[in-house]
Amino acid sequence: MTNIRKLTALTRAGIIEALQFRLGTIVTLLGNLIYLALVYYLWKAIYASSGMDVVNGMTFYDTMIYLVLATAMFNLLEVFVIWDMSRSIQSGEIIMHLLKPMRYRLYTFWSYSGSHVISFFLTFLPTFVLVFIITKGAIPLGMNLVYFVLSLILALMINYNVEMLVAPICLYTESTWGVNIVKETIVLLLSGATIPLSFFPEGIRKVVEYLPFRAIYDIPLSILLGKAGKSSIGSVGGCLCIQIFWIVLLSIFGNLFWNRAVKKITVNGG
Amino acid sequence: MKRGFGFYASIYRKILIQDLKSKMSYRADFIISTFGMIMTNLSGFLTFMILFHNFPSINGWDYDHMLFLYGFSLIALTPVQCFFDNNWNLRFMVRSGDFIKYCFRPINVFFYFISEVFDVKGIGQFIFGLSTFVYAWCRIGIPVTFVTIAEAVLFLITASLFMIAIMNASAATCFWIINSGYVMVIMFRFKDFAKYPASIFNAVFKFIFTFVIPIAFVAYYPSLIFVTPDNVPLLTWLSPLIGAAFFYLSYKFWMLGVRRYDFTGS
Repeated sequence: MTNIRKLTALTRAGIIEALQFRLGTIVTLLGNLIYLALVYYLWKAIYASSGMDVVNGMTFYDTMIYLVLATAMFNLLEVFVIWDMSRSIQSGEIIMHLLKPMRYRLYTFWSYSGSHVISFFLTFLPTFVLVFIITKGAIPLGMNLVYFVLSLILALMINYNVEMLVAPICLYTESTWGVNIVKETIVLLLSGATIPLSFFPEGIRKVVEYLPFRAIYDIPLSILLGKAGKSSIGSVGGCLCIQIFWIVLLSIFGNLFWNRAVKKITVNGG
Repeated sequence: MKRGFGFYASIYRKILIQDLKSKMSYRADFIISTFGMIMTNLSGFLTFMILFHNFPSINGWDYDHMLFLYGFSLIALTPVQCFFDNNWNLRFMVRSGDFIKYCFRPINVFFYFISEVFDVKGIGQFIFGLSTFVYAWCRIGIPVTFVTIAEAVLFLITASLFMIAIMNASAATCFWIINSGYVMVIMFRFKDFAKYPASIFNAVFKFIFTFVIPIAFVAYYPSLIFVTPDNVPLLTWLSPLIGAAFFYLSYKFWMLGVRRYDFTGS
């Protein structure tokens, strides 16, 4: 299987590249710790003021785990496809990518995979362990961990596909910052990364259920907290199927859009 | 040679006009970016509303007072967005070596670098923040007198200095650490917590967010003068001085980086 070897070579290169920036990893981890403290005190005050232990089926620890791990996931999932694409168009480098004997979408995905691996072990896992300790073991340990990791990988693919679907817009508008911020705001709000989806008013939540964004943060985190299978969220298997459905749908549309947009590329000189 | 305020003001105006002209030539980018800025503000507001939909008060702060704090923080975060946005480009300039061009001009390097970009998008945030602020001001029933308005202006300017100082200092780290963008990203994310009362933290973190990463000054301390007028802490009264100190230190740190950059001569 030379094909797989080719792809894992990209992963390895990514790992080596990411290890170059060790300081970045440490600072990000430190930043996450302070962020964790902010979330902790904010929600502790909120729950203390409300006088209730459980709000919308979420305890204080549930909310805390949900939000802190959402932050850690944000670091893990973060890719800069939009920035990369627009920068390589401006510099003309995109031609080199298009000439490679591998599809651009595939190539980009696998070159990011290495940094995902590093980020998982160096920032996500330590944050996870810390939250586990702080919340005194409120995270149930069992099969849900296996499903969570599976769901996390699917979430990564959905996130990548959303990014790939949005990035070609830059080819038409020459706007990078703007396109990126619109995407990021929508994803973070509607996926539950800023505030857990179960706090949303009924009406908005109904709409959000039918959008792909909740499959990025809400589904993996609900599976981890053991909320999937109860209430309205559906069984774990059902959740994973929803994620796969979105990956297929988004990659079909992403492919169509990319194939159209790539004909539009104009490189001045280069 | 000492140049007066008038000299720098006229240079700033000239650079500003050039920058706006070049921005206008990318019309689609301008429209999308403005739209994006409105989206972020809307999303922040929605988060706020959802929170209060579930919880009527936070640590003794009710809806109106929290809205006041929220509006205050949005206005205080506008200057860093509008006038100091070029800090985000610093690390690219330093790395590629383009930064050297700023060192060859007979004007202050920091001033020249910062004045090069004026971010129009921040104006949307300002309008959004101001309407929230005024609405909350009326709801709470703060008297409108010359003194209260003067205080509002003074303390809003003060509050904005803190975020500027944070971003200056974190941008300047790129003189020592290659690709230090993550420092800015992390610091920029902390600003989301400026809109909550710092009284929720325990002593250690209150100290950190007051004196190390001073986000508590972006809205909490300065706004206490309106929220609890009978019981204003000393830190609130001192905040203009502390803000000026933080800004000065961040400027010195930035310039230290420039001096170092000269020496490596890359």
